[in-house]
Order: sequence, then structure tokens, then C-alpha cells
Amino acid sequence: MNEPSVNLFGRLYRYFAGRRRVLYGATLLLVALSLFASSRLKLQEDIVAMLPDDGSSAATDFRLLQLAPFTRKLVVSLKTQSPGDSAGLVAAADSLAQGLREAKVGTVSTGPAALGAEFFGFLGSALPSLCGEADLKRLEAATAPEKVRERLREGYEQLLAPEGWALKGKLQSDPLSFSDLVLERLRFLNLVPNMRLVQNHFVSADGSSALITVGTTVPMTDSAASHQLMDRVDAAVKKTVPAGFSATVLSGHRYTLANADAVKRDLYLVLTLSVVAIFAIYLIFLRSMSALFVFLVPSSVLAIASGAMALWAPRVFAVTLGFGGVLLGMVDEYATMIYFACRKGGKDPALITAEVARPVLSGALATLLSFGVMLLSVLPGQRQLAVYSMTGIAAALLFSLVVLPHLVRPAPGGSLPFGGMKTLRPPRRLVLVVWCAILAVCAFGATRVRFNGSLQAVNLVPPELKRAEAELNRTWGDLQGKALIFAEGKDLESALELNRRVFERLAPTLPPGELVSLAPLLPSEARQRENRDRWIAFWQNGRAARLEHDLAREGASFGFTGAAFAPFLATLKAPAAPLNLDGLRAAGLGELVDALVLPAPGSFRVLTLVPDRPELVQRLSRELAPLPGVRMVSESRFGAVMGGSIIGDFTRYLAITGVLVFLLVAAVFRAPSRIALVLVPVVTGVVCMLGIMGLLGLAFNIFNIAATILIIGLCVDYGIFMVSRLEDGGDETSRLAVLVSGLTTLAGLGALALARHPSMQSIGVSVLLGVGTGIPAALFVIPALHRKDAP
Amino acid sequence: MKRLLLLCALLLPALPLHAESQPSPQLLETLEKNAGSVRTLSSDFVQEKHLSMFKNPMTSKGRLYFARPDQLRWELTAPVASGFVLKGDRGRRWHERTGRTESFQINQEPIMKLVSEQLFAWARSDFAWIKKEYRVTVLQESPALLRLEPRSAATAGFLHHLLVGFSADGRYVKSVELHEKDGDFTRIRFQNTVVNKALPADIF
Repeated sequence: MNEPSVNLFGRLYRYFAGRRRVLYGATLLLVALSLFASSRLKLQEDIVAMLPDDGSSAATDFRLLQLAPFTRKLVVSLKTQSPGDSAGLVAAADSLAQGLREAKVGTVSTGPAALGAEFFGFLGSALPSLCGEADLKRLEAATAPEKVRERLREGYEQLLAPEGWALKGKLQSDPLSFSDLVLERLRFLNLVPNMRLVQNHFVSADGSSALITVGTTVPMTDSAASHQLMDRVDAAVKKTVPAGFSATVLSGHRYTLANADAVKRDLYLVLTLSVVAIFAIYLIFLRSMSALFVFLVPSSVLAIASGAMALWAPRVFAVTLGFGGVLLGMVDEYATMIYFACRKGGKDPALITAEVARPVLSGALATLLSFGVMLLSVLPGQRQLAVYSMTGIAAALLFSLVVLPHLVRPAPGGSLPFGGMKTLRPPRRLVLVVWCAILAVCAFGATRVRFNGSLQAVNLVPPELKRAEAELNRTWGDLQGKALIFAEGKDLESALELNRRVFERLAPTLPPGELVSLAPLLPSEARQRENRDRWIAFWQNGRAARLEHDLAREGASFGFTGAAFAPFLATLKAPAAPLNLDGLRAAGLGELVDALVLPAPGSFRVLTLVPDRPELVQRLSRELAPLPGVRMVSESRFGAVMGGSIIGDFTRYLAITGVLVFLLVAAVFRAPSRIALVLVPVVTGVVCMLGIMGLLGLAFNIFNIAATILIIGLCVDYGIFMVSRLEDGGDETSRLAVLVSGLTTLAGLGALALARHPSMQSIGVSVLLGVGTGIPAALFVIPALHRKDAP
Repeated sequence: MKRLLLLCALLLPALPLHAESQPSPQLLETLEKNAGSVRTLSSDFVQEKHLSMFKNPMTSKGRLYFARPDQLRWELTAPVASGFVLKGDRGRRWHERTGRTESFQINQEPIMKLVSEQLFAWARSDFAWIKKEYRVTVLQESPALLRLEPRSAATAGFLHHLLVGFSADGRYVKSVELHEKDGDFTRIRFQNTVVNKALPADIF
């Protein structure tokens, strides 16, 4: 025995034996203060808990992904049952848009700004700033006399048709359709693949649906505000969508709410079930009023851990609190050890406390090591979990070893429930054969376990959201499946210049429908100046005069006056104004500009969109790598990178935890045979968990790795308790303690397995399997192996 | 002479009341009722465009066919054979010189949508729609001659007013003048109009 530590807890018992009121008062005060502090906790239910906050690319990529055009908006797809009736669809879309505006949900849009005179004016005035070398070659061809004649004939004939009145102005200002060169560039600005414009409304190619977008300032990570927002949207939809129409609303807020609601429901379920189940277990096994104090230890620990979290981080991730059930179930093992030892009695309580302190401290140290390793994590949720768990374990130790021995009285005659399970000793040979057989089967099953590193595997997407996603993709094409390329510069000019270089690299390799870029319509000012100089030079040396002459001559043959094309000819001579964001907005392209030009603190980002196909993303990343300031992010790659980095993180913890726990066990138990005995529950638990999952076809995900760390921490405790007390005659109290604390752990974790959220469910299922097999290994296999070892 | 001038001075303020007055409900009702009996219509037309960018008016000829409720053919025969057919929410246009024929959806072409709304409104004498879009004044009761000014600012941006003349029996439009804001105008005269005669099935 380690005398100083034993003496410490023994002395503490004796010290407080005469000052119990002070001890109880201080304990109650600590719990009360913790409860008060924990009442200030605010839950955070988003994925931020699982994002590295070390400034690594994953966190930056996640933030950048939130800047995708439709990620920041609510998308409402309004579907009609009469696809031919586009007028009815447009009217219903207007009505719903009005309803949404009245509900004050944000900036509602049913289509682009009306492209009026300003837009056509922009087309003409933009030419000098946009025309490159190749464009001027096309203009040269378009100004050949025979082309001029042909174009004027077309214009003349168009004017004869009823719709000719609308073309008169255009013919005067652009008789040779130079502006087609600018119009062609608009094909790089189609954000919605299957969309066409009907009465300036976004209507699907099949005519069945209208698209309404809502720009909102409500952050997707704010579940309370998201709730209010979606309630208002749903109410507006219910109120304004007429019979014969249906609306599908999709936004990141929906995912946040789905996850938040599931987590809240799970928390309620897990905590309620675990408290009830644990209380029932205590009633069955502890059968004494003093058992109430054992039950109060984990409850108090929960309060203290939560209070400590409130002081450390006011916003606590829901996933961290979700582990409350696990912690509650786990930390009672120290209390039950003390309880059964005290109930058995027969010795000075100070001595009993001192005897039990050693395995309890060893077990607690092993568990603290397991969770302590998580402090190294780059994931804030993991670090919170480490602090939460370690605080709880430390508090449980103090309560169990300092307070509880004063509260538990020896049972009459020192009798323990179920006779201390002395009769429950199956034949040694049978135990070992069954154990070996199970281990062999599970070792085989473990080879078949399938690993799924995707974050999607642990993200909750309810079926109704999956259906909505599929419906939107079917109707509009893949709105959100775009990889994003950011060209970032310290100012707009440098960002636009970089964006142009990105476009020049991508355009030759991608079909126009796959590339969304502002570069063809808004190059940098330097490039615009270069183009304008080229434009001026192009029309010099008599070219403008020749064209004027040709227009006059060819126009005369159709009856045009000499001044018919004066507005056009003036544009060839007048200095052109540079293009800028305000000009594009004034031309009716504001929504596109705001979607693709993103001011950031101290910089500007210009966005380019390409399809999010892994092989394309890989190729383009390679090709764009030489351009400093360009960053490509995509959902698919982010998921893969995140999955990989979390797997790496957890695998490292697993290895470190395994080594530290082994070293601790080796340091405490020294003899190889005893070390091996202590590790029996850990090995059994891990192998069986992997094996059963493999045999049942359950995929092993990133949360299962986290759960494995938990299994190691729990099962090694059982091994330590059992082996420590096998030789000093305290094995019956150890057996009961392992059984009861194991059952309460299973009760807490069993509730987690019922959770709806995949992350909690994964932890629940895998710990249920690991601990569920680790407990019988501790209770039956260790004594069976030990009997052989015994002289 | 002085008495004549005095009479003129007295009568002049009253003249606009006779020349331009709010349309009587009966007149529009009568026109709508008379036009309501038109199931099919075919007519030749002559179009004159008086545009400042041309030295002389542009003259063209063609033929119009209409069948209730939503079929219309506008066909130019000279100086170039071209035209379009509207049928429900779809359309088809052709051009003889280029040999091009193309189908389109009316709702996807804002200009054609505007044109088709106007043509159908006049062919059907849909005064409910017309009164919603224009302020109507009557310049002459019989045969009816109406002046229409657009109510919406968007239309008023290019169209100053319309002058629409009806046939003596009020069943169909005899002439239309579209006056643009810049002073240009287009005059269309309908001739040889035939009402409710069966039209060839393949004309639309």
C-alpha cells in the first residue's frame, strides 16, 4: 500500500469524524454554488464543437463554405400541380413573396432585377472596358461592309414586325450588335442550372416550380433565432400558398434546427432514463437509506462539473452535456466501492477508507489520463469534454473518499446484497472456454468492421430534409453542390485581378455551364484600362470614319437617315467610363454581384463556382496552387479532410491513452501476470465491441473512436478494482462495486443508444458493447485466471 | 363676323367636352358585346411606320387571322414575308428570306408577351383589360374612335398614346395608331376584314 495516500484519506476521515457538520455544510455549499453557476450555462448545438479552432485549413474552409451563395439564403421552391399555367405559378410566387416580406424574414427575391434601359445602356458602355484582343478581331469581322449591310437589313426587317418598336433604340445605339459580346459573358453568371426567366421570375426548366430566395441576417449557428425565423417562414407559407401548390423550404437553418431538436430530445431522454435506471439499480443492489448518498454522488458531480464548465466557458456544447449521462453512470464506481466496503464494515472506517482509496485512486488516475489526453485536441468540443469529465472525476473522488465514508453505516452483521455474489462463481474451465470462444469470434468479426470517416455519417439529416434536398436538386439542378474558389486581395482591385487570372486558367478547361465567374463582366481596373486603350487604338487610323461611311451608305439603301446611328457612332469616339460594382448594380446585376463579391475585414474576396466533383476539385486545386491568394474549398473535400483529421486526432488519443494506461497499470501492479489480469476487461471490451460491430455490419465512425477511449478508461477501472482486492479478501465488495457501477454505466449508456442523433447513438452503442462485455470479463474471467495464478 | 367670332369663343371651351370625353359605359359595353360575337376574323392590313431614323415612312403589308379564344396569326407579305403565330402560351415565328422558323414560349419573351397581350386584347375587345392598362377617352362615338394613354410608368416610358378606330358596326378594329414618346408613330389600317368565316385549319 502507498502509505502517505492511505494515511491522508484515513487521516481526513478521522479529522472530519468530529466535524461532520462542517464537512456536510461545505459539501452542500459547493453543490449549491455549482448549481447556481450551471444555471448560467448556455447550450451551443452547432457543428462548431467539432471544428478545429487552431487556425488550421479545416476551420477556415468551414467558414469559407458558409459564404457560398445559396448557403447564406433560404431557398423556397414553389411547385404547381398544373405545370402549364406559368401565369398562375408566377402569381402564386408573388403572393408567397409578399407573405414572406410581411413576415419580415429578410430580403425576398423572386427573380433578377428588371433588366431595363439601364441594362442595355450598360451593355453598350461596357464594351470598351471588356473587349480584349480576340473580341476586337470579332468586331473587325462584324464591321466589314457586307456584314454591315446584312445587319442593317436584319434591323430594318425587325422594325417592320410588331415587336419592332422595342428594338428601335437598340438599332440606333448598337446597329451591328456589338453588345452581343457582352451578353455572351452573362452565360458565366448562371447560379441556378435548371432555371429560366418567366416574367422576370425564376422558373424551373420544366415549368413546374418557381424559386424564391430569402436573404437573412440570422446566423445558421443560432438555433434560437433560427427557430423563430423558420416559424415565421412556415407560417407565411401556410398562409399564402394556395391550393394546388406546395412549397419546399430549405436552408442551413433547417439543418441546425433538426440537429438542435434531436440533441435536446436526446438530452432529455438520456438524462431522464439514466437517472431513473440508476436509481432503480441502487434500490435493488444497495437496499439501504445510505444508498441514497451513493446516488447523490454522481448527481452532485454532474452539478459541479456543469458549474465548473459555466465558469470556464459560458457557452457549452450540447454534445459535452450529453456526456452528462455517461459521466453520471461512470463516476459512481468509486462511491459504490466505498459503499460496499463500509457496509461490510468489521474494521475502523478510517482503515476501510484507506484500503479502498488505493484502487479507487488508481482507477481514477487511469480515467483521468484517458480524458486528459483529450485536452490536446484541436476540437473545442473534445477539450470541453475533457475538462467536464476530469472535473467530474475529481469531484467524484473527493465525495467518495472524503464525504461518503461518514454517511454509510455498516450493514447489520456486515451482510452484503446477494451474499456478496459469493455463490456466483461459474466453473473456471467453462468461463475460460466461453471467454476464448467469444474472443475468437469477435476477433474474426473485428477484421470485418467497416470504417466510415465521413462527417455525414454522424450528422443528422431527417428524412423530410433529405426528400426536400432531392426535390430541389431534381427541379433546379445542384444549387449547393458547388466548389468555391476564392480570389482574395487586400483591395477589390487586386481581388478582381486575381479572379481574372483564375478565370483564364479555368475557362478553357470547363464548359461554360459549369463555371460561374464575374471575371468576364468585371475585370480589374488595370485590365479595363488596358482594354480601353486597345479599344481607342482599334478605332483610330480611319477605322471609325470608314464604319461611319459604310453605315451611311448601306443605311441609305434601306431608307435610314444619315443621323440614324449617331448614338452608336458617338460611343466609338467618347471616352468610356470604367466598370465598377455600382455600375453593375445599377444595370440590375446587384444580386449576382453581391453573391460573388464578398468584402471581408481588410480584404476583398471574389468568388468563382465550379461543380463539386472530387476529381475536378483535385485537378483544379493543383492547377490553381501557383496563384497566391487563391483558395479552393468544397463540401466534399472538406468532409473528407475533416473526417481524416478527426480520425487522426482520435487515433492519436487512442494510442496515447493505451500507452499511458498501460504504463500506469504496469507501475501500480508491476508483475506481468497481474498487469495482464488488469487488462483483461479492456482487451475483452475493445475486441468484442469491434467484433460485434463487424458481425452486425455496423460502420465504425469517428464517435466510435471517442467511445473506445471511454471503454478503455472504464474497463481498466474494473480490472484495477478486481485485481487489487482479490488478494486482500475484499473481492466481494469489488465484485459488487464493479457489477453495480457497470450496470449503472450501461443504464446511462443504454439511454445514449436510444438517442436519435447519430453521434450520441454511436457512442451509446459502442460503449454498450464494450462495457457490456468488459464487465463479465472483470467479474468472471479475472477470478478464473487468478485462481490458476494463485499458489 | 364679330358674332361668328363670339360664337366661336363661346363654343371653343365646350369643344373638348364633345371631342374627348370619358367613355360612356354603354359605348364600351356595346363594343365589347359586338366584338363578342366575333369568333374568327381575317383581315389585310397596311402598316406605316413614321420613324425619325428613316427618311420616308416604312410601309408594309400583311394579313391578320384571329380565332377565339387564343389563336392569332400576324403575317407580313411585303416587303419581306415573315410573321408569327400565337397559340395559347406558345408561339412560332418565321422569316422567308433567312429561312428560319423557331418556336417560342410567350412568357419567356417579354416583348412578345407585351405584343400578344395587346393584339389579343384588341382582337377580343377585352375592355376590362384595356381599362386596367389605359386611361380611355372617346374621341368619336360612331364609328368609335378611342384614345388610350398607358397607366403604368413602364409602358408610358416608350408609348405616349394609342388611337384606336372601330368599324361602323363596332365589331372589329379598323385602325390603330401607336404614338411613341419621341414623336415617332405607327399606323395600321385593316382592310377587307371578314368576320366569322371558317379559317383554314393549318393557319395557326
